[in-house]
Amino acid sequence: MLTLERVTKRFGGLTAVREVSLHVRQGDLLGIIGPNGAGKTTLFNVISGYYRPDGGRVVFAGRDMAGLPPHVICRLGLTRTFQLVKPFGNLSVVDNAMIGALTRLPSVSAARLEAERVIETCGLAPHAAARARALPIGLRKRLEVARALATRPRLLLLDEAMAGLNPSELVGMIELIRRLHADGVTLIVIEHIMAAMMRLARRIVVLHHGEAIAEGTPGEIASDRRVIDAYLGEEFVLAQA
Amino acid sequence: MSLPPSRRAAAVLLGVAALAPLIVRDSFVLDSLILILMWGALSAAWNVAGGYAGQVSLGHAAFFGIGAYSAALMTARFQQSPWLGLVLGVVLSLAAGGAIGYLSNRLRGPYFALSTIAFSQVLLIGASRWRGFTAGSEGIPVPFRPGVWTLGLGHVAWVYVALVLAVLCYAVEIWLEGSRIGYQLAGIREDEDAAEALGIASRRLKVFAVTLSAALTSVGGTLWAQYVGFVDPFYVFSIDLSIRFALNTIIGGLGTALGPFLGSILITSLETYLRATFSGFKTGFAGIYLVIYGTALILVVRFAPEGLIGLAGRFGAWRARADA
Repeated sequence: MLTLERVTKRFGGLTAVREVSLHVRQGDLLGIIGPNGAGKTTLFNVISGYYRPDGGRVVFAGRDMAGLPPHVICRLGLTRTFQLVKPFGNLSVVDNAMIGALTRLPSVSAARLEAERVIETCGLAPHAAARARALPIGLRKRLEVARALATRPRLLLLDEAMAGLNPSELVGMIELIRRLHADGVTLIVIEHIMAAMMRLARRIVVLHHGEAIAEGTPGEIASDRRVIDAYLGEEFVLAQA
Repeated sequence: MSLPPSRRAAAVLLGVAALAPLIVRDSFVLDSLILILMWGALSAAWNVAGGYAGQVSLGHAAFFGIGAYSAALMTARFQQSPWLGLVLGVVLSLAAGGAIGYLSNRLRGPYFALSTIAFSQVLLIGASRWRGFTAGSEGIPVPFRPGVWTLGLGHVAWVYVALVLAVLCYAVEIWLEGSRIGYQLAGIREDEDAAEALGIASRRLKVFAVTLSAALTSVGGTLWAQYVGFVDPFYVFSIDLSIRFALNTIIGGLGTALGPFLGSILITSLETYLRATFSGFKTGFAGIYLVIYGTALILVVRFAPEGLIGLAGRFGAWRARADA
């Protein structure tokens, strides 16, 4: 479904993403982890069309996406969320989702129904009429997912959808992501919280200094020497034991 | 009727404007009414780009001036109908709006506003220097020839012309509020990156909003020039005028259909009243309307950041609570 071939992105002298290759199949739930500054969000920005790669290819659904703007990529079926949530602050929750739904549904009334359905799925129904900027962060993260979901993506990129959530919100978000996956959405999830990622992802890619240093199941990643050195640290190994 | 209160208020206000000339014959009152309607309509036209799409322009006088000059030159130089000038102005403003929208597409916020100011200033210099054609800084008197085709009308007829313009601009606003494009523009206004991520072709839609707004502004410019009877480049292309459109809208309620009209009612009537009151004094009060703008803006930002519409909404909520 999505293939990255030796994708590179530089900012001046800094190489934020270096020759990253990965492959996502229909139905995957791929996790991307790595310390701060590892290049995770940069990689998302390249895939979703916000940055043009300096090298390599991004192929989605058999199509080379180099140079395509984000809105075209979204219409092809690939939607992303933002780590720093970007709600349409002065609009209601349902209008936020509706703007996503209008991408597939030209009719305003059909888009409103779709938006209400998506909001229900994401557990935002009680807040449908609230202004987005009035929501606490946990619900804003959900709104970010709901809005993206309303565009009916085949591949959904979630950028730290769980960061900043309290433990009960975290459980809710994990449930939501699992449900979306069960409904047939292919997902790539960037996450900082290891414990959540270990429970969620089928496959994990580890980025470090812009390079993909390891790929495997959560179990394989947790015991990979390079990963432990680069990121997890001894404490994690001890905690696992 | 389940119309929201602001729609009912709009219907009442437009109805009052339509009936007024049947009762009142005083030319000062009718003149004020015409100006309130025209400035309200022009502010509503500005609101299409500045309020609904978040493309805050401070150079809309450019399109106003294009409309004013197109009709004035059409009548004064070529002895043609101002209606042809109106059409020409719309065509030129569509082109100019499309060009400025396209060229400044990457610019956001204050940078977009600055580029629009620059554009209107370029037209001001062009119109004031091209003496052979535009009569330069002297301006052009619009010949008065009675008739509908020549737009040589009395005050009563002008009220209805201004009313049609106001209804047209209001209808465009209402259409935006309920349409797919209107929602997508709201998304762009709130967060352009997020709108792009959700499949919205933000650049194309921004150009659309600016172009539509430019065309309506040009129509307003044509009608204003034909009503007033004189086109002065330093007025029709002035930044003061661009700011008037923006401030009427902000004071009334940015991104609301009725807001620009409420702003115009407050500001225009204050202005015409003060001008009439102080017309006996030769000096000192020429710039009084700037003081009004400043004061009104400070009061609005301090006490009603969502404009008069927001204030009315809060009053309605307070009354509902008091009733309960």
